[in-house]
Amino acid sequence: MALIAGVDIGNATTEVALAEVHDGATPRFLSASTIPTTGIKGTPQNTQGVFQALTVALEKAGHEIGELDLIRINEAAPVIGDVAMETISETIITESTMIGHNPATPGGLGVAVGTTIRIDDLELARAGESYIVVADRTHGFRAVAELINAYAGRVRIAGAILQLDDGVLVTNRLERKIPIIDEVKLIDKVPIGMPAAIEVAEAGRVIETLSNPYGIATLFELSPSETASVVPMARALVGNRSAVVIKTPAGDVTERHIPAGTLHFIGERNADVDVEAGADEIMRVGAQAGLLQDIKGEPGTNIGGMMEKVRVTMGQLTDRDPSGVEITDLLAVDTQVPQSVTGGLAGEFSLEAAVGIAVMVKADRLQMQRIADDMTKQFGIRVEIGGVEADMAIRGALTTPGTSTPIAILDMGAGSTDASVLRDGDRAASIHLAGAGNMVTLLIASELGLEGTDFAENIKRYPLARVETLFNIRHEDGTAQFFDEPLAPELYARTVILHPEGMIPLPLRQPLEVIRQVRIRAKERVFVTNALRALAAVSPTRNVRDIAHVVLVGGSALDFEIPQLVTKALGEYRVVAGRANIRGTQGPRNAVATGLVLSWEGRP
Amino acid sequence: MDEKTLRSIIEQVVSEFTGAPAPATSTPAAAATAVAPAAAPAAPLGDGEELVVTEAGPAERGTNPREVVIALAPAFGGVINKTIIDLPHADVVREVCAGIEEEGLSYRFIRIFRTADVGFIAHDAAEYSGSGVGIGIQSRGTTVIHQKDLPPLSNLELFSQAPLIDLETFRAIGKNAARYAKGESPDPVPVRNDQMARPKYQAIAALFHLKEAGLCDLSKKPQALRVEYR
Repeated sequence: MALIAGVDIGNATTEVALAEVHDGATPRFLSASTIPTTGIKGTPQNTQGVFQALTVALEKAGHEIGELDLIRINEAAPVIGDVAMETISETIITESTMIGHNPATPGGLGVAVGTTIRIDDLELARAGESYIVVADRTHGFRAVAELINAYAGRVRIAGAILQLDDGVLVTNRLERKIPIIDEVKLIDKVPIGMPAAIEVAEAGRVIETLSNPYGIATLFELSPSETASVVPMARALVGNRSAVVIKTPAGDVTERHIPAGTLHFIGERNADVDVEAGADEIMRVGAQAGLLQDIKGEPGTNIGGMMEKVRVTMGQLTDRDPSGVEITDLLAVDTQVPQSVTGGLAGEFSLEAAVGIAVMVKADRLQMQRIADDMTKQFGIRVEIGGVEADMAIRGALTTPGTSTPIAILDMGAGSTDASVLRDGDRAASIHLAGAGNMVTLLIASELGLEGTDFAENIKRYPLARVETLFNIRHEDGTAQFFDEPLAPELYARTVILHPEGMIPLPLRQPLEVIRQVRIRAKERVFVTNALRALAAVSPTRNVRDIAHVVLVGGSALDFEIPQLVTKALGEYRVVAGRANIRGTQGPRNAVATGLVLSWEGRP
Repeated sequence: MDEKTLRSIIEQVVSEFTGAPAPATSTPAAAATAVAPAAAPAAPLGDGEELVVTEAGPAERGTNPREVVIALAPAFGGVINKTIIDLPHADVVREVCAGIEEEGLSYRFIRIFRTADVGFIAHDAAEYSGSGVGIGIQSRGTTVIHQKDLPPLSNLELFSQAPLIDLETFRAIGKNAARYAKGESPDPVPVRNDQMARPKYQAIAALFHLKEAGLCDLSKKPQALRVEYR
C-alpha cells in the first residue's frame, strides 16, 4: 500500500488530493484540501502553501506527513498571468467652455441663454439683454435670491451658476423661477461676459438640448463647421441632469486619443496592431498570427512599458533573463474607466475608453523540477512532476458521474482559462489562454472606479442587495427578505454585498442594477470570450460546434453565475456544458490533484 | 458621593448659572477654558437675527414621508442661545434647515424634556418624524442623525465633538438627514477630530450639560415648536 498526494499549484489556490493505493486496485481517496497559493504560481515560494495544504489534508485523514510515500505535483507550466489597464482616450476642456457636472440638487427647470455676469456687477447690466448670473461662495442663498429678485424687474436674468450647494434654496426664494446649476467648485474660472447656456432637466430625466449638437447650434447660432466642433462637447454631456455650455472664442472640448503604442505578435505569421484600435481589432490581429511565440510592445510607449514590466516581474520570479520571457497569449477587453476631465471646473468625470489586457507567460519545466527538488529536500519525501496540467484535469474531470470520453474540459481559474479535449485513443489536445478571474476583478474595479481590489473581488464573488429599511433588504432578483433584528446603521439605505460573513456596504453611487450589469458584463467578456476561444483552439475541426460535451472545472466554475453564463453561451453552439463534480463529491475543485493521483495508478 | 450631594451640587451650579449674565465667567473652571476660544469661523450669515422658539402644544407623530423632525434639547434656543464655540443657535438652525430644504424635503421642530442625552433626543425625533429620520441637537452643538428602527444608543451619524462642528457641518448634517429620509445612501459628513478638544472644553461642556439637564422634566411630553427669527 502507498499513501500518495496529488498537489495542484494554481494561480489562486493550492489543492491536494490524498489517496491510498493498493497494488492493482483503484486508489481510495481519503481527503482533499484547498489553501491559497503562496507566491506566484511556479515559483519557489509555493512550497509553503503546499506544505500547509498537505498538513490540512493529512490531518483530515488522520495521517502524519512522515507516512506519505509520494507527492505528485502538476507541471504548472505556462500559466502565469498578469493583468493591466491602459486608458486610450482623454477628454480635455480648454478655456472652460463646458460645465457638465451633475449636482445632485440643481434648481429650477428648463433651458436658459444669456451672457455671464458676476452677481456683484448686476448694476452694470444693460436692460433688455439676457444674463446668466455667476455667484461665488461669499454669497449665501438669501443674498443671491434677494439680488436676483431685486434686479429681475430691470434686467432679464435667465439663469444662475453657483459655487455653493444652494440651487434649490435660491429657487425656492425667487419670484420668477430660473434654472440654476450649483456646486461649481472652480467658479473663478467661469469666463465672464461670454454667451452661455444652461439646462436643467426634471428629476429622473436627462438634458436634451445641450447634449444634442444641433441643440447647441440652435442656441448659439452656430455655422455647420462650428457645429461639427461641438460634437465632443455634446457627447460628454449625454446622460447628465444639468449642464452649462459657454461659448468662448478659443475654447474647445476635445477628445484626445492617447498614443498607446503598437503590439507586435510574433507567431506563424507576424502581425502588428495599434492598441488604440481597441480590443476587437487586437484580438482579430492576434488570431491572424496563428500559434504565438511571443508578443512585444512598441518600446517607449505605454503598451511597451506594460509588456516590459510583465517580463521583468516574471523574469525575477522565475529567476530568468527578462528578455527570455515569452508572452504566449493575450486577452484584450474594451472597457470604460471614469477619469476626471482635464480642465473641468466642477470636478467632472468622463468615461474614457480603455483596454484591459491579460497576458500569459511561458514558464519552463526546469523551474517546476527545481520546486520539486526543493520540496523533496524540505519534506524528506519523494516529489515528482506528474504531467501536463490539462491532461491531469481531464483524468480528474472524468471522475464526474455521467461523463465519458470523448470529453472536453474548460478549466476556469484565477489567472488563466485552459481547455483540453480527449478522444478515445488520442493524446489530449490542450491550450492555455490568458484572462480569467483576476481579469474580471480588474474590469469591475476600473469600471466602477474602485481603488484596490478588495471591493471588486467581493462584488465578483457574491450577489448584491439593497437595504430598504433596517428590517428588510431587496435582493438583486427583486425578492424581499425580512429580519427580526434591525440591521447595522452603516448598512442603512445602501447597496450591499451579501458576503457570507455579513453584508458589506458599498461606497458607490451607482444604482444596484448598474453595478450588477458591470459585474455580469465583465464575466461575459472574459469567460465567454475565452471559453469560445479555447474550445475552438482544441476542437479537432477548429469549430466549437464539433465538441459535444464540456465539463467546467476550476475555482471560477464555483462562481454563482459564471457557469450559467458559459453554459448559456455554449448552448448557442449546441454544446452541452455543465459544472463538474469531481469524484462525485468535490464539485468543480480538485480535478488536477485527483488526476495526478489517478495517473500514477496507470504506471507500473 | 450619593444622589443627594450630587443633586445639591447640580442645583448650586444651575442657580449660579441662571443668575449670571454670561455663562463662561462665573466659575473658575469655565474661566480657565474661556481664554482658549476655538477657531470659530465667523458666521457668514450672522446678521444678528435672534431665534425665537415658542412651544405650541404636545408634538404629534408625523405621517408625511417628506419631513425630517429636528428635536431640540431642553435649553436650546432658550436659556442657552449659542453653541460651545459661540455659534448663534439661530445660525445653527438656519443651516440645518437649509440643508434639508436644498434636498427638497420639509422640516418640523419639537423639544424633548425627558432627557438631555442627544442620542435619545435624536431617537425621539426619528420616532416623531414621518420619514423615520430625525436630528437631535444639544445646546452645546452635539448632534445626532437617527432612524426610528435603530436602538437609541446606535445612530446613523454622530457628531460628538461639539467644539469642531461649524456651520458648514450643520448644513451637511441637514443635507444628509434629508438624503437618508429619501432612502439615499449619502457619504457620512466628514468629522474632524481633535484630541485637545476634550481637555480644552471638558469643564465648559459639563456646565452646558448641567444647565441643560436642569431643565429636564421627566413628566413632560415632547412639545411642538414654532421657530421664528426676529
